[in-house]
Amino acid sequence: MDNLIITKLSKTYQTGVQAIQNISLQIPKGMYGLLGPNGAGKSTLMRTLATLQAPDTGSIFLGQLNVLENPVELRKVLGYLPQQFGVYPKLSSEMLLDHLAVLKGIMNRAERKEIIQALLHKVNLYEVKKQNLGEFSGGMKQRFGIAQALLNNPKLLIVDEPTAGLDPVERNRFYDLLSEVSQQTIVILSTHIVEDVKQLCTNMAIINKGEVVMAGKPQEIINNLQGKLYQKTIQKSELDGYKDAYRVISQRLYQGNQIIHIISETHPGSDFKAIDANLEDVYMSQILNA
Amino acid sequence: MWYHFFKFEITYRIRRPETYLCFLFLFIFSLFGVEFVFQGIDLGLVKKNSPLVIAKTMAAITLLFMIIASMVMGVPILRDHQYETQSLIYANPIAKKDYLLGHFLGSYVVLIFIFSGMVWGMALGGFMPWAKPYEYLPFGLINYVQPFLWVVLPSLTFSGAIFFISGAYSKNLILVYTQAIFIFVIFMLTKGIENPNLQALLDPFSLTTLTKATENWTIYQRNHHLIPFSGMMLLNKLFWFSLGVFVLIVGYFKFKMAVGSEKTFKRKQPQENQFETVSHNKLLPATKPVFHANAQFKQLLLSAWFHSLSILKLTSFWAIIVCCFIIIYVNSLSLGTAYDVDSYPTTYLIVEELHEMSLYFFAIILVFYTSEIMWKERDVHFDLIHDSTPIHNMINLSSRFLALLIIYILLIVALILAGITFQIFHGYFRFELNVYFFGFFLELIFFLTLSTFAAIFFQVLTNNKFLGILGVLLFGVINVANVHLGIGHVLLEFGGKTLGNYSDMNGYGIFLDGYLWVKAYWLLFGVLTLFLASTLKERRSNWSFKKWLSDRKRKSAHLFVFICLLLFAMTGGFIFYNTNVLNTFWTKTEKNKFRVGYEKTLKQFEYIPQPKIIKTHLEIDLFPSKRSYEIHGEYVLTNTFQEPIQAIHVQKIVESNVQLGEITFDRKVSSDSLYSTYEYIIYNLDKPLNYGDTMTLAFKQVLEAKGFDVKGNETEVVYNGTFIDNTALPGFGYQKKYEIQDEDLRLKFDLGPRIEKADRNEQQAVQFARSGSDSKGLLLDVIISTEAPQTALTSGELIGHWHENDRNYFHYQTDQKIIHFYPFLSANYEVFRDSSQPPSSQNMVNLEIFHHKGHEYNLDRMMEAMKMSLDYYGRHFSPYPYKHLRIAEFPRYNDFAQSLPGIIPFSESLGFIMHIQDQKDVDMAFYITAHEVAHQWWGMQLEAAHVKGQNMILETLSQYAAMMVFKSKYSNQKMQQFLNLQKDAYKKSKLKLKTTDPPLALVESQSHIYYNKGALAMYEWMECIGEKNVNKALSNFLCDWHSFGGAKSKDRYATTLDLLQYFRAVTPDDQHYLIGDLFECGEE
Repeated sequence: MDNLIITKLSKTYQTGVQAIQNISLQIPKGMYGLLGPNGAGKSTLMRTLATLQAPDTGSIFLGQLNVLENPVELRKVLGYLPQQFGVYPKLSSEMLLDHLAVLKGIMNRAERKEIIQALLHKVNLYEVKKQNLGEFSGGMKQRFGIAQALLNNPKLLIVDEPTAGLDPVERNRFYDLLSEVSQQTIVILSTHIVEDVKQLCTNMAIINKGEVVMAGKPQEIINNLQGKLYQKTIQKSELDGYKDAYRVISQRLYQGNQIIHIISETHPGSDFKAIDANLEDVYMSQILNA
Repeated sequence: MWYHFFKFEITYRIRRPETYLCFLFLFIFSLFGVEFVFQGIDLGLVKKNSPLVIAKTMAAITLLFMIIASMVMGVPILRDHQYETQSLIYANPIAKKDYLLGHFLGSYVVLIFIFSGMVWGMALGGFMPWAKPYEYLPFGLINYVQPFLWVVLPSLTFSGAIFFISGAYSKNLILVYTQAIFIFVIFMLTKGIENPNLQALLDPFSLTTLTKATENWTIYQRNHHLIPFSGMMLLNKLFWFSLGVFVLIVGYFKFKMAVGSEKTFKRKQPQENQFETVSHNKLLPATKPVFHANAQFKQLLLSAWFHSLSILKLTSFWAIIVCCFIIIYVNSLSLGTAYDVDSYPTTYLIVEELHEMSLYFFAIILVFYTSEIMWKERDVHFDLIHDSTPIHNMINLSSRFLALLIIYILLIVALILAGITFQIFHGYFRFELNVYFFGFFLELIFFLTLSTFAAIFFQVLTNNKFLGILGVLLFGVINVANVHLGIGHVLLEFGGKTLGNYSDMNGYGIFLDGYLWVKAYWLLFGVLTLFLASTLKERRSNWSFKKWLSDRKRKSAHLFVFICLLLFAMTGGFIFYNTNVLNTFWTKTEKNKFRVGYEKTLKQFEYIPQPKIIKTHLEIDLFPSKRSYEIHGEYVLTNTFQEPIQAIHVQKIVESNVQLGEITFDRKVSSDSLYSTYEYIIYNLDKPLNYGDTMTLAFKQVLEAKGFDVKGNETEVVYNGTFIDNTALPGFGYQKKYEIQDEDLRLKFDLGPRIEKADRNEQQAVQFARSGSDSKGLLLDVIISTEAPQTALTSGELIGHWHENDRNYFHYQTDQKIIHFYPFLSANYEVFRDSSQPPSSQNMVNLEIFHHKGHEYNLDRMMEAMKMSLDYYGRHFSPYPYKHLRIAEFPRYNDFAQSLPGIIPFSESLGFIMHIQDQKDVDMAFYITAHEVAHQWWGMQLEAAHVKGQNMILETLSQYAAMMVFKSKYSNQKMQQFLNLQKDAYKKSKLKLKTTDPPLALVESQSHIYYNKGALAMYEWMECIGEKNVNKALSNFLCDWHSFGGAKSKDRYATTLDLLQYFRAVTPDDQHYLIGDLFECGEE
């Protein structure tokens, strides 16, 4: 299976905002997590990969396919679920899926019907397939979104923050479906929830301020921090002092006191407790580093 | 607090470009406002910047661009809803009153600013280079400001209130965009109200109100008075203003400061279902996307259907359709003729009416739903998903284009069904489906198609719904301007011209050929713009034409564009070949130049003595299927002047495809081609023609129609229904008809004012019965042939006819002198015959009505009118001279009837399809026939001098004669009805007059005087002194001034000075003042 190879991709908006800078990534089959805070450039990258906007420089290849020069070719094998989307309120999900299937080149009526039925079953919208989309809840709409993205058996599936607005149960099922799809497909999942990536992704990258700050397999990334992470419970008022003295990567309240995590090559002192690294810490360390 | 929202609204709008664009649009439009609103309407003596004209113009522009008002007023509340800031705002403890009032007042101020563009635009319009100073009063700002404040502002208040409230209440964007139509519908509905007072009261834009309030105003008042603050105007303005306030108040109480539209609450709650693991392990079936040409074609059709379905699901769309049909139902289809009589609902009339009524709605659908369909994904935020599908841009755009076409077609089918229903309802069962089809699918759909191309292009170009709409509107205005100001060539006028009139007799004639070619040309242009739009749509930062051209993957696109361009160039070339090579194309400037040159160079010859024709022999071969003819002719000429004639000035008809060759004389001549530019050749006679001598002139003239022309004047020699007259033949001397008539142009080209008719005592002028008359009566001998089975007609007795080589030949000959005015007609006629024996005539007169098959409705009425007229006129004026009287129908390219010796060409549209209901109508078929037959006396037997008052003798006397015949058949009540019609018609046209009314005796070309006022005056005089006396005066006048053998008509023709002497002679002395009052005094 072909990899998606992104080389030195940059995009600066007319306002001067550097949305993505010099991004290079290799994305193999399976689930690939793009982790980053809001405004990190994830959505810009996703839209660029989905050929919806052109970068200033750089190249994107899906195997042999030069995506930027043949956007239409990529779209033929693309499934895309944007972060936010709306639907025509007066159409049924079945009708809109049919329309999209036509746009995606599934011209055989029987084939179209078959895949739509299967997808509706899969996302459990079969019962409401005649219902107007305007009457759908947020979760139902999101399921419709994933159904449409899968219409053409995509080789590349891009899902941008898909679980926002889903309750935990729905979220899990959603991920089940994604991981099933990822057996055959490159699935790029963007999120700012560390837990999601940890659970699902075989590969990942952390993006911040338009740049890739780290990429690799989650476990390898975690391993990098192994043995460098320490924890301490302090008074709230002491926080500033610790921040000056150490590389504090996270802080949270615990029963009125402040728990901080710091990174240190050497043991910072006995009052610190060495802990096992987790992805959250990696993420926080990368974000705060920048 | 309300001030906060007010300020917010204003500052927000100040930053929006739309605000200024709308202002600018209205400003620019208003520069031409008066010309646009009053196009085709003669303002007469009323000035273009009089308060009344300004008020009407402003009201009409406001009505036309209600869309702008709805876009401004409808959005403020909706905006909060759209940007989802509503929850934030509503969560704050703000008062509903402040929130609504602030936004309303803010938008309202902006609305007033935008529409004030009209004030400045119109004010400046008077100072534009094309404005003619004499059409304007001295500038006065108050003349603009007062109508704006008093007429426009209350209308804006009302409509603004409606738009604001409905926008706030419904929170539905498309409703906001389309609600302007509802106001328009209200306006149209008021037009259906019978009661004029009620109609004036209920007109939301005060257009009818203005007319009503000023109906009795004099010209001075119309020019100088501001719009009245009282009476009907006051009531109208109060009514709509308070309705606006009422709407605001009701809206205020109904509005809820809550998130979500009102509808949401009624809507059933989402039927929640959980994301169950039903069949997770089942693999999805594999799909095989295909993108070959066949698949793309299917994509195109399926997407088009999808898009049109989504329009069909819109409530707003159905609201528009319902409005359209309500208007058609309320206003009904007007079949009225100029004479207040309805026509039969023939299909072409229905089609024309339906066109007119539905056009506005088509335009709305076109403008709105193009913008809707182009941005439907963006509007609901579905664009990211849509744009990531691999559909080809061209297919994507084309499918939207096709979807709109489907919508139009559905609407057209509905209109056709409505038309057929209307016909059935009127008991008319001749549904010509082909006419319906052609009328809509050849005419309307082409117009819509081309406009849709343009609309899509502008949407893509501007990449903004609102700007796109503005772009299309502007484009429309520019097109209208181009038609009026451009050089007038179809290759340069977007969409070309409309298809000419459909005629039952001639169908679409030759128009269709040129029409279809021009449409093909513009359609290709449209396809190219669509393609351009599709490349624009995918434009990327580094897109360049060079790159696009060298892109190998775009081979099929290259080929497609290349083929379109090639076809476009080829059709353009072919059209150009037809219009400019085979036919001659004259720009307006060239035409004017010719006319100016003609007048300046040749006017010197206007009254030079030329011989008169005393005998004409013609052999005419008509080829209707080729729209051609060949004429061999011979004139026998004589000199009626004392001095010898040295040279003969021959004027060929100025028509590029008519060739005049082989002019031969029976004596030696030398030709002088100095003026050949004007097709004017002087033949110097070696031996002058002395007084009383005769000579002959022979000529050959050929009309050869080549290819198609698109000027729309190919209505004379046609496939079926040829109608020309002798003015197409070579004539002598200066022809006044080539002079420029438009006074402004004359001024521009340094020509003096045109004297249409000379004074009654001008020695030279009274010797002519028409401008440049070539004869004082002649004998005519014509052999005319035409293609079988057509019948060819002209003046004279039919003395032979035969069939040869599939052609029909007819030999006509006059047995006495006729005036120099005779027609040639040819068509596939049915004949309705009868005969009558008029009093004091030896001969039976054969009466024939040559008519188109199917136009039998009024033959009996016309025949009876012929008989009764011959009888009455023969009894009271003089004997009827001929042994025949023919009526011959011609196509509806003109709608007149005309009397020539023994023959009356009668337009298809005039009497043949009138549906006369004796209960309520005046029998105009009868009357018009009687009038035309009267011309066999007034005009054929007695020609009047070509000076002022000529038409009183010819037309007014014919009106009188016809009224007497009418009176002898119909009741006094019908007669009164007829007179009232004349009165109304007279009043109506008086308002449009540029000069004050001349008296009847000095009438020139003011038809409302010699027809309408003339009829009234004659009738009044007749009632005073008695029918017998009038007839006595007329028969004496005719006897003395008879063109052929009258005692007094030796040297000159009669004028009204002569006529009125006969009038006085039969009027008792104490009633002589009547003559003065009725015929010699003009209006103050």
